Parts: sequence; C-alpha cells; structure tokens
Amino acid sequence: MTKRLFPQYQRFGLFMAMALFMTLMLAACGDNTATPVPATTAAATKAATTAAATTTSAATTSAAATTAVATTAGATTAATAGGASVSKSGFKGTLSYWALGYAPGANTGFSKSTDAAVAAFTKANPDIKVEVVGYTADQAGFAKIVNAVQAGSGVDAFRIPNDSLPVLVKQGAVAPIDEYITDADRSDILPGLLDTVKFDGKYYAWPLWVPPVAMYLNVDIFKEKGVDLPKEGWTYDQFVEIAKKLTFTRANGEKVYGYSALVDPGLVDTWPFILSDGARPLSADNTKYTFNTPEGISGLKKVTDLALVHKVTPPDFGTQKLDDILTAMQKKLQAMWSRPSGDSATLKANGLNFQIIHMPIGKSGKAVSAGGIGLIAVAANKDKARLSASMDLVKYLTSAGVEKDVPGYYLAPAARKAVTVQEPFSFFAPIAPTAWITPSLPAWTQIRTLIHPNLQNAIFGKMTAEDALGQPTVEVNKLLAAQ
Amino acid sequence: MAQFDVGKIPVRQVSTGQRIVLFFRKNSWGYAFVLPSMLTFAIFTFFPVIWSFIISFQDFRPRGGTTWNGFDNYVKAFTTQNNVFVTALKNTAYYAILTVTANILIALILASLIQPLNKYAQTFFRAAYYLPAVTSAVIIAVIWRWMFNTQWGFLNYLLSLFGADAVRWLSDPDIALNSIVLSTVFTAPATGVVLFSAAMGSVPKDLYEAAELEGAGPVRKWWSITLPLIKSTTLYVVVLYTIASFEVFEKVYVMVPSGVGDSTQTIVTQIYQMLYSNLNYGVASAQAIVLFLIIATISVFQFKFLRSDVEY
Repeated sequence: MTKRLFPQYQRFGLFMAMALFMTLMLAACGDNTATPVPATTAAATKAATTAAATTTSAATTSAAATTAVATTAGATTAATAGGASVSKSGFKGTLSYWALGYAPGANTGFSKSTDAAVAAFTKANPDIKVEVVGYTADQAGFAKIVNAVQAGSGVDAFRIPNDSLPVLVKQGAVAPIDEYITDADRSDILPGLLDTVKFDGKYYAWPLWVPPVAMYLNVDIFKEKGVDLPKEGWTYDQFVEIAKKLTFTRANGEKVYGYSALVDPGLVDTWPFILSDGARPLSADNTKYTFNTPEGISGLKKVTDLALVHKVTPPDFGTQKLDDILTAMQKKLQAMWSRPSGDSATLKANGLNFQIIHMPIGKSGKAVSAGGIGLIAVAANKDKARLSASMDLVKYLTSAGVEKDVPGYYLAPAARKAVTVQEPFSFFAPIAPTAWITPSLPAWTQIRTLIHPNLQNAIFGKMTAEDALGQPTVEVNKLLAAQ
Repeated sequence: MAQFDVGKIPVRQVSTGQRIVLFFRKNSWGYAFVLPSMLTFAIFTFFPVIWSFIISFQDFRPRGGTTWNGFDNYVKAFTTQNNVFVTALKNTAYYAILTVTANILIALILASLIQPLNKYAQTFFRAAYYLPAVTSAVIIAVIWRWMFNTQWGFLNYLLSLFGADAVRWLSDPDIALNSIVLSTVFTAPATGVVLFSAAMGSVPKDLYEAAELEGAGPVRKWWSITLPLIKSTTLYVVVLYTIASFEVFEKVYVMVPSGVGDSTQTIVTQIYQMLYSNLNYGVASAQAIVLFLIIATISVFQFKFLRSDVEY
C-alpha cells in the first residue's frame, strides 16, 4: 500500500508552515538598521522659562523689523515680493503638513489662516503642493501625530508642542534644522526658545509661538448680573466671589456656570491654579517630582474647591470636551474659561463679547500662567530635496513673512521678535512671560499621563489633593531617574 | 477464482519527488484558490500577531536600536502607571460579564418574540434589529455621548420630566462604566437576534406539537425544546460577544476620551494609551498578548463547558 505522504493533520501543518514562511519573508523586508539618535537634555526646560520671559517685548516690535527679517535670505530660499520665499530645493511634488487644530473647511481662525499661509507658499512655489492634515489638541490628537511621524511616511512637516518633541527626537523621527537655520533666524527668534529644541547639540524644530493660559471673561454675562469685570492682579478669593455671583439659573431654566476648563493629559488649562501657590511639578533640574508639596496640594485644592465646595463649575467639569465648553461660552452659559490663546480667534469669529485677563493670583503673590511652546518640525527623510522643501515650508510658516501674507496668522505671542501679533492674541503677550513652560523631556508624556487621572479623581471628590499629588511620586521619580 | 494474498501483491515503489508531484497534481488547484485567503491571513493577522509577540520581549525602537529585555515588558505591563492595567482588567471583566449576559438574554427574548410572527414580519424585524450592526460604532457612541450629556442630554431631560436630579452619566467615576454598559445593552444585539432567529427556525415543528400534546405551555416548550436545540448557536454567540466585549474600545474612546479617573480604563484603551501616548511598543505588545491569552482561555473554557452534545 502506498504510504500517505500528507495525512489530514499534516495539511494543516503545511498551511501554517507556508503562513510562517510568508511571515518571515515579510519580517526580513523590515529595515532595522540602527541609526544614531541624540540624547535629550533637561537643560532645554530651563531655557524655556527664560524664553517666555522675553516674549512681551518681541510681540510689540515694530513693522520695520518685519521687513528686515523678510529680506534676509535663507540658505535654500530666495526672497519674493510677498512674505513667502522661493524654494531652491528642486523638489516637485506634494508635501504633507500636519497642523494642530486644523480642520479642512472649518470656520475657525487657525484653519483659515493655515489655508491662506499654505496658499501663499504654493503661489511662490508652483511646483510644490501642500496637503494639510488636522489633528486635535488633546491626548488623542497628540497620539495620532506622534504615531504618524513614527511611521516614517505620510508626514513631512508637523505642528507639535514642545513637550511632545523629545520622545520623537529620541526615536530619530525628526530632522535637525542646523543646516537650514541662518544667523538672521537665530537673532530673530527669542532668546532661549531655540534651547528648548536643542538635543545633543542640534536643533530639532522651528519655534512658532508661546500660547499661555489666560482667563476668558464672557462680558455679556458679567453685564447681565451687574458684576464688574475684574482687574489685573485679582486674587483667587476675588475670582471665587465673582464665579459664585455668575453661577445662577435664568428664568427660562438655563443654568449658567461661573467657571470651567478642560482637564486632559495633554493640556494644562487648570494648572495655573495649581501653580499659583508656588508649586512646580518638577525640580529646576528636572530630576525630582515636586508637585507633592504643601504649595502643590493647596494649589490643587483651589481647583477642586471650585467643583466641590463653591460649586461654580458644570457637573461634567473634569471630563468636558472642547466642543462642550466652546458651545457653553457661545451660548452664554459659562462666564469664565481658562484656556490658551488659540480659541480666542474662534470666539471672536462667532461674535462673542469677551475679554482676556491674567489668571488669579495665589499665595505666591505673583501672577502665574502655564503653557507650552508651539513648534513646527520636519520629519526625518532620506530624500534631500523633499527634506529641503519641507524646511523651506516650515521656515516660512514660522517667519514674519507669513504674518505679512496672512495678517492674523499668529494666534499667540510669536517666537520671533519681528512679528507683531494682532488682537485678540496680543492680549496674551503680557501674560506669556509669567508662563511655566511644560518641560521638554522624553518622559513628560508619561508623567502627565500619571498625574492626570489623579487630578480628575480629586476634582470628582474621590481623592484628596494630597493623595492625588502624592501617589505618582515614586513612579515619576523612577521615570526621571531613567532618563 | 484465484485467491490473492494481499501481502504478496507487488507494489511499485514511488520516490518522494514523485509523491510531491502527484500531491500537487491532485491538490494544486485547491491551494491556488485558498492562496489569496491565506495571503490575507498571513499579512493582516498572522504576521502582526507574531511580530507583536516578538516585540513583547523587546525594547522596540521603530527606527533602530531595538534590544531584547526578556519578560520585563510583561512585568511592566502590570506594574506601570500605578498598576492601571490591573484596574483595566477588572473593568473589562465587569463590562464583559454584564454585557454578554444581557446581550444573550435580550437576543434570545427578541428572537423568541419574532419567531411566531409571519414570514414578512419576521423579515422586517430581523432587518430592523440588524441595523446597529451596519451602523458605525463610532456614530452610535457619539449619539450615546450626547444622550448622556449632563447638561443637555436626552436622558437627563427625561429625568427632569419626573422631577429627578440630573445624573452625571459620564463624569461620575462610580457611574461612568455602568453608563457605557447601558449604552451597549440598549443597542440591540443585532448578530445574536439574527442568529438565534435562524436557529429557532430550524427546530423541527413536530417537537413542539408533541410537547403541546403532552400539555406543555409556551415557557416550558421554550425552556425544554428551543434552548437545548439551539445550544450550538448559543455557544457561538456567547464566544462572539465575549471576544467583542473584551475588545471594547471605540465606545470608551469616544464617550470618555479623557477618561474618568481610571474608572473607564479597559484593556484596549490601556494598550492604546501605552502605545500612542507613552510610545512603549514593548509593554503595549505584552499587554496585547495578555489580552490574547485571556480571550483564548475563556473561549476554550466556553467550548469545553457549553459544547457537550453540540453538533456542527
């Protein structure tokens, strides 16, 4: 009898063997060539606080400086009559620019100004098309852009906050800009800002702006209740008193709340309160977790008391999305909102009557804000022409030239001295110098993810402020020590 | 007639090469038709699973510099981020037990109610209950999110008609996960209804007639005839829903994107966070392998204890 070569179970084995073979073939196609990646330094954060302090004077620089910068030729571009420069990269094709807060066709200030800026660039460079992709300004959005950049394709230039940059630099996903930055650029960019993007001796992004958190006042609600608008230098107690007066129910049953803010791992909208008594999340050299101090605990209590004691916040405070609060402000259901400068354009575009004021002062006796540095970086790319074209695009989008082509492009105090920012963003210029800047550390994204649920639990009343800030201590210190 | 001694019949020896040729002559077309499916399986299922398994033992860097670190990732999977993965496991188990039980019961009841109707009514209701299955899960989650909104949501509006206080459906840590469970339970279990309905239709009618002659009522017939005879379908639906419940993600991600403390953390949201926020490929892969092992173990137990006399 002929021996069966392939009994039934062996056919299954043959199938799996073929699948495994294909798997190994696919795995062999991957490029695992090690590429040198730079070490990140904690010194970048220190530089950031110095940079923020100089933003005020930069924002009020006259237009003469704008002209001077625009005519300074970069290494790869030639000046044109408008702000946009002609790229000498020789690249012909489409670049992909990922923009934070952008939505195609949206009626928001940033979306429109981004479209206009890109149009100005492509007008000066007809051979280069730019496709703009948007992502949201929250943890989910940052995760999306980081993943896209890591994938190594589909992203040429991207907007990113400074605290999300180090982890990408560490992965070798970002191109250094040293070859493309000129002396004119260096002198125009605010001192210290470039140091926040310096890793292992190289610069890895173009600073765009410094958007600090400030308090938006819904003026019509103040008028409705006959409450005077607060003045700069107002204290936390004054803020609470105002918030209580502005938390009421209208005759038609509509509930109005005195204050709200977004609470998200990627945002620091409530942090000015936490920092207002003098606390800082990390030590000056970024080696130790220092939020669990009496100042930090009393600062966090200022936030939790708004919800639990004074009851001036909406019921969903701590879990609201941006749309919730924007809608509440526009429908005059919320009196005060702490937020960076970007959304002021949207509120202005929708006709809301609002004013901007610094955050209330705490026990430190000084006004404190919080924020990051908006950057635009270029993804690492072996295609030199494409890389060069991307650098030209980014350089333009962070220059004074773009403000010349698209007035109102800058939605926050700019990173360049030559840029004069328009209203309402100019109101944030005096606030920027007091902003604590999120650290440019690779571990920061993990640290803020550790802290965030505890902040929420404290707001919900499930944890004391002391436990909320004390619990992450050991793990945060381990992360800092591992850097 | 000559008697043949089988042991003495001369057999022509066939070489291995000839056997292989014969095998492919006989089966090549079959394998050719299976090849596209096999390629799809290899590329989109087998390869990612194997690679994920490998990465779970590495400190993976997408752009080079990957090193092996043994079982460190598996230890970190459970201990990192204040042991949030353990919380995620508990939350997911809680969600799975409630939703699977509720979905199976609801699907059985709906299918039993549909079964006695005429053919056209059955078709209409099966199609109607199947609509959630063809609707994007994200859209369903967005709608539920608005329904649960504390200030403007439909549910709190209904409560206000009865003078009840507003409920913080998605912002109270003690309630948020239950709200997500509620949204799953109130979304009709489409697949279960259709499968149970089809299975009930295949139960021989004479069994019911015999039971009626014996004096059995509707409930007794349902319990003693319908349920045992659709056991194979029940097993399949239970396994299906268990796997889906352990992989819950879009509902949580859309309804509570910033989380509610850790009360709404599930296994997949934790994997997502570990990968895309912390960029820790190794730990995320280790957590994914843990999820795979959990689902596989539960499925094996379900097959073992629910199978018994099931025939396919």
